[in-house]
This record gives sequence, structure tokens and C-alpha cells, in this order.
Amino acid sequence: MTVFSAILVGLAMGVVFGFALEKSRVFEPGMIVGQMQFRNFIMLKIFLTAVATGLVVLSALHGLGVVKLHPKATLYAADLVGGALLGIGISIAGACPGTVFAQIGVGYRDAWATLTGGLCGAVAFSYLQPALAPYLLSGAAGTLTFDGLLGLPFEAVALPFAGVLVVGLVWLEKLRSWRSDLGKHHDGLISEAPARAHDRPAAAGCCSLH
Amino acid sequence: MSLDLRAPAISPYVAGIAIGLLQIPAFLLIDTALGASSSYVTVGGWLASSVDPALTGIDYVAKHLQGAKNWWQVALVVGIALGALISSRLSRTVRKGFAPVWRRAVGVSGLGGRLAMGFAGGFVMLFGARIADGCTSGHGISGMAQLAVGSTVAVAAMFAGGIATALLMKRV
Repeated sequence: MTVFSAILVGLAMGVVFGFALEKSRVFEPGMIVGQMQFRNFIMLKIFLTAVATGLVVLSALHGLGVVKLHPKATLYAADLVGGALLGIGISIAGACPGTVFAQIGVGYRDAWATLTGGLCGAVAFSYLQPALAPYLLSGAAGTLTFDGLLGLPFEAVALPFAGVLVVGLVWLEKLRSWRSDLGKHHDGLISEAPARAHDRPAAAGCCSLH
Repeated sequence: MSLDLRAPAISPYVAGIAIGLLQIPAFLLIDTALGASSSYVTVGGWLASSVDPALTGIDYVAKHLQGAKNWWQVALVVGIALGALISSRLSRTVRKGFAPVWRRAVGVSGLGGRLAMGFAGGFVMLFGARIADGCTSGHGISGMAQLAVGSTVAVAAMFAGGIATALLMKRV
């Protein structure tokens, strides 16, 4: 595929992605911080639904033999350190690298700062990559997958795993309906705003659900 | 499942399925999985190399500047902004300034303070994502859907880091 047509495909896919992120409200910083504080569960619901859908879709495409899977290499140190930093950044930014763009689209001004910080972080890493590579890529276990470890075909592990995720999601939804996670302004803030944040009693653990 | 494009909010399950289905064109047309964070290397490297041309001498950067896949991902994230822009205008959920959650969570009251925080968060987020070689999309949505062990470790670490940080903030 030419670069030009890849860009057109990317734009079209991005618009669908952006609609899904905006309409589901998961791009809201209140949803991200709320998820990380176990105050609401929209992010986890979308995330696990997307994983389950991906498992089914890739089982079909892989089963038909029309695609090759591209699992990333297993690099425990890099995955642990990088993953932890990524998570810390997500809570401070109130966004993921992809949802920053949805925040920009809806008009949040601070998302531009997050994007700028992200670009600087990526450039800083790029400068350090040659020096970091020996550490990050050391102890390579290869590219491990759960189906490979179990010695089973991809589909034989992916489809049952998708089933487990669906059961978990049904249970989660019974526990907490997604509508109760939205908040009055669809921004994930589900408890009433106190008059002043500092005046909130520390024990104000309960939340009023709309 | 009816989909009202003017609705201010839709089910996370509909959204999750839509995102998961995007793996079909990603794998079939681009021969790659859904991801977002390497686009920052492509665009950041492209911008920074206009100031410091030596940057493209680093293999890692050079690799991210060429090929349809890299520019496909840049187009994808631009499309995300476009899709969210259209969606928020259809449902009249356009936002201004910064989200009220920040006043509650960390007591930030002015845009300047929040811009500094956003910059710092973005920096750490992408620095971490590039160490891990993936983000919520690449490791999370795509890596776990491919049963990758490393991605599962990265996602667990991501939630651990995110939860620990958010628990230092005030409850929202």
C-alpha cells in the first residue's frame, strides 16, 4: 500500500476511533482518574470489550489464514518499567496516548500541553534509545504468547479467553451499570461537587449515583 | 443496538466493539495492529530533526520516519481528533479550558497550572510507552488480543502505576 492510501485508511479508521472515544466518554480525564481510583469503570469496560472483540476478530482472520499476528517481543524489564511510567503519566495527564487526540478534538485546551509533553517525551526517549537499548532489550525471552506457552492453536486460547472476558463484563455491568458511571455532565464525576474541594471530609467515601 | 450520533453518551460495550473491529482493517489493509504511541516518535522525530538533523542518524528514529505503517498511525491519531470533534459537535458536548476533575483531584485552579501538569504527564506517559514499546492501544487493546505475554505484563504495570498515582490524588 502506498503511503498516501495508508494515510486515507488511517484517517477513516481514526474518525471511527474518535467517535467511539468521544461518545463513550472514556476520553474524559474524570473517567481515567475515576477508573484508577475505582470510582467508575467505563475505561475498564471499553478496554476489556475491545480486547474480547479483538480476540474473536483475530481468531477468525487468523483461522482463515488471511492475517499474520504481530505480538510484541517479551521484554520483562522494559514492560514493567515502561508500563509503570506509562500508567503514572496516564493518571497525571488524565489521558492515554490515543485519547489525548480526542481531548483536543472536543476542545480541552490542556490536551495540547499533554500532546507537546508526549512529543518531547518521545524525542527524549529517541535520543536515549541507543544508550538504553542494551538494558531494555537484555534478557530477551523472545516473543512469548500464552497460546505458544500452552502449545495450543491461537484460536483455542483466544476464544475461551474472550468468553471469560464477556462473563466478567456481564458481572461487572450487573455490579455497576455503565449509565451510573457517566455523571451528570458525562465526564465521569459521579459524586456531587463539594462547595470547596478542601472542605470535603476525608470520610466522604460514599457517592450519590444519578 | 441503535446508534444515535447525537446522543451525548453511548454504551461502553458498543464503543469497545467498534474499537475492536478496527483490528480488521488494521491487520488486513496495513498488516499491523491498532496502536497510537509510536506516532509520537514519528512526528516528534520529524519536528526535532528540522532543528537537529543528526537525530535521523539514530536507527530508532529513522525507522519511525519511513514506511506506510508509521504515517498510517499518524493519520489514525489525527482522525481520532477529527472524529471526536465531529462527535462532540453533533451531541453538543464541546469542552472548554480543562476538566473540572483537576480542581477536585489536585486543587489546580488556573489553566497555567494544568498546562504544566499536562505537559509533565504527557512526557512521562510517552517516555514510558516508548520504553515498553507500546501504550494502552498497542499493548492493551492489541497486545492482549494477540495473547502476548509481554503486553499483559505491561498492562498490569500500567494499571499499577496509574492506580498508585491516582490514589495520591484526592478522591474525585
